[in-house]
Parts: sequence; structure tokens; C-alpha cells
Amino acid sequence: MMHRSLASTIALAAATATLLIAQTPAAGQAQSPATKEAASKTAPETKAWTPPLTPDGKPDLQGVWTNNTVTPLERPKGLAGKEFYTEAELKDLQKKERQRLVVTETEGQPPANHSGIEGADADDVHYDFSQFGLDRAQAKLAWNRRTSLIVGPDGTIPPLTPEARKRLADMRAKAKGHEFDGPENLSLGARCIARVNVAPLIPSAYNSNLQIVQGAGYVAIETEMIHDVRIIPTDGRAHLPASIRQWYGDPVGHWEGNTLVIDTTNYTDLNPFKGAQNLHVIERFTRADPDTILYQFTVEDPGMWTKPWSAELPITKIDGQIYEYACHEANYGMADTLRGARLTEAEAANKSAK
Amino acid sequence: MTTKLSLVAGLLLAAAAAPAWAHHGFAAEFDQTRPLKLKGTVTKWEVTNPHSWIHMDVKGEDGKVASWMVEGGSPNNLYRLGFTKDSLPPGSEIMVDGYQAKDRSNRAVGKSVTFADGKRLFLGLQGPEGDPDKK
Repeated sequence: MMHRSLASTIALAAATATLLIAQTPAAGQAQSPATKEAASKTAPETKAWTPPLTPDGKPDLQGVWTNNTVTPLERPKGLAGKEFYTEAELKDLQKKERQRLVVTETEGQPPANHSGIEGADADDVHYDFSQFGLDRAQAKLAWNRRTSLIVGPDGTIPPLTPEARKRLADMRAKAKGHEFDGPENLSLGARCIARVNVAPLIPSAYNSNLQIVQGAGYVAIETEMIHDVRIIPTDGRAHLPASIRQWYGDPVGHWEGNTLVIDTTNYTDLNPFKGAQNLHVIERFTRADPDTILYQFTVEDPGMWTKPWSAELPITKIDGQIYEYACHEANYGMADTLRGARLTEAEAANKSAK
Repeated sequence: MTTKLSLVAGLLLAAAAAPAWAHHGFAAEFDQTRPLKLKGTVTKWEVTNPHSWIHMDVKGEDGKVASWMVEGGSPNNLYRLGFTKDSLPPGSEIMVDGYQAKDRSNRAVGKSVTFADGKRLFLGLQGPEGDPDKK
């Protein structure tokens, strides 16, 4: 799977799209009717629009963008089979989102209960998101009519394979009771190493901002929510040898008309992306209008999911720059967490000794 | 602790899972059974992603001053909402309503932060740029 040639990769992506009734264009077509239709529902309605070009003649995707959205990755249960909201439903959703923010700003954050027990007391210690500008509605939102980022009638991540279920269950069982033994037990995000929102680009809970810079033969994408810059060569080179694995894989890009296509393999098996071991991601970036990129991706790992899955969302232009992610400089949380865990253990030991 | 605090012990359900929202689990770092109120003077503000930290001096009932650090949100949206690093200068009198760190050090998460006059610290800025009504 890791060494599939580009042609068969694209063929598989196209087959996948058909399988999922996804609206991904077939290989080699710059703006197929399917893409136009997807763009009109996922991105704002646009007339035929020609994107500006970079000095070396490629479509210009450069700028500072956001993929901040209210659309969940997977479709909520109550909306099974409904892939798109109507325009009226979307307006209603926007209205509710603004009302929710007003309530939060004036009355404070509603208490959160993650216990899974309805009516239970709040069990979450956190700050008032709206006060720190962290409520998603306080930043620009990339609205679209989709009910889930995942396309197709199901709108959900396909079932895990039996071996993946067993592997993940074994991992969970092994980690249980050792969550705070040492720094390596904490998540890659808490360790300031890698996050799930980078490759593919999935909105994060906050700081869903990115910058795209292009040079001859390269595209660079920096996501604010972690410090990495993905540098994507578009000169037709092959993937790295299979033995070389990277946090965000090895991205290789090419242009299909106005669309940037990135094929990424060689992810490390320590990858934070949902526990996949042999991830293969195909991403498509198509400028839909001056303020919008239509972003589509397909993910596959035959050892992980029973079939590939695809998602799409608009990426919207924002003003200003992205902010440095100086995670380690202020990562007091790591030391606080470990000291807190040691203290809790010492107190428990003291108690049982008495 | 050198400062006498009003630690209100409210036994809540143990956190079932750390919220996926945070860079780290709040519940792993901060103790929801140790809510606190701090009133003091800002000495420094570390404006860093993914979390900012307000440093403040808090005078206890015994007259002794203790230094505290309070975790807040990331800087990006505050910037976009009109906030700058000069918006919370050293010497600002603030009140923090939050929870102490589990390691019982002088660190806390700032659930809400208000100026001494009761005005909420980071609110009352310009509206979100994504509001379609404002276009």
C-alpha cells in the first residue's frame, strides 16, 4: 500500500470516491461537474472563476486561512442519510451559533458534564472559553451546508477491521492505570510533538488557522495548532523509501489543472491519526473563489478501516498572520500534571499505610 | 501554601475523561475539588500558544505576598478580537476565579478573570469577524 504508484493511487482514489458517492473529481479533470457541485454546497455559490497564478504559473493558494467550522467530522445520529442542510436550515444554524455565543459571553460557560450520565454534576475543570476568545464562534467560521465533513450517505468513519479493534483494545488495556507514569505516557499533543489536525487538515477545537506559501516546485503549509510546516514538493519525485517514517508522513504533490493534489504515505506507526498504522492520505485543494479553497481528502489504511473514507470542507481566508506555537516555552502543564500525579500517589500510599 | 485561601471543597464527580478540547487534559493538571479566588496584581503575562499564563502577586490575610501563575487561553483569537500584549500590563489589579493545580503549587487555571471593578477581562472587544450580520 505504501508503494503504490501515483497512477494507481489516483485510480483508487477515484474508485473510492465513486464507492462513497463522494464528489471528488476523477483524475486529470481540473474542475469536473462533480467538483463544481461539491463546491457549490461546501463552499459559497460561485460563478466561473479563474484563480490568480504564482510567478511560476501555478494556481495561487497563498495566504492565511481558517478551517474553523461547526460541522462535525462524523454525522450526528439524528441526521442519518441527510448529507446537506437546506439554505434555510443553514441560516438557522448560524443564528443559533450567534445566540449561543451571546449567552456564553453574558452568562459564562455552561458547566460541562463528560460523565455520560444525564443530569450529573459538571465534571470538567476549565476556563470560560468565550472570555479568552476561544469560543469557536468568536473566530471566523468557514460555513458550509454539509451535516458532516465526511461525505457520502453514511457520513461516518467506516468500521474498524477486527485486527485494528483488537490492537486498539490491547493498547488501551496496557495504558490503563499508567496514564501519568512519565512524560511518554501523555499524549503527543500534551508533549508538544504532533497533533491530529495537520495531515489531513482537520479543524482543531481552537486555533484552526493555517498559512500556505508557494515557491517554484514547492508548497508549504503551516498549521497554527502545532509548530510544524509541511513542505510538499510538486516536482514529481517519488516517495521516500518505506523504512523512513515521519510524524506527518511524506507528502508528494502535483497539479491537476487548478487543483493541488497531495499524496502522503510513510507516516510513523506512532502517528496520532486515530491509531492508524499504515496511513495513506490523498488531499485536493481547489480555489473556489477569492476567499475560499475547497479542501477534500480521502484516507485509507486497509489494516485499520474496512474501507477508505473521504471528507471535504471549505477553507476560508482570514486577515492577519498566524501566531507562533511556542508550546514548549509555556508547557507548564506537563510538569504540573506529573507532580500532581506523584502527589496523589504519595497521599494514597500514606492513607493505605495508616 | 503561604497564602490563606478560601478553598471551597465541593465534591464533584471524578472526571470520566479529559476534555478533548484542551491541549492537555485540564482534569489531569487542575483539581476541581480545589476551587479558589485570587485577588492581586499582574506581574507578567506570557502570551504563548497553546496556553497563556498570567503571573500575579497575591497578598494573603497574613500580609505576606505570594506569586501565582494562572493559565488562560491561546493568544490568537484575543489578537484577532483586538487584544494586544499591552492590554494586561504589569500592575493591573485582577481577580481570578479558578481551580488550583493538582500538585498544590501556586498555579491555577483561570476559569474567569475580572478587573478589580468587576469588568470581565477579555470581553467587550469588537465582534467576531465571522458574523454574517456584520458584513
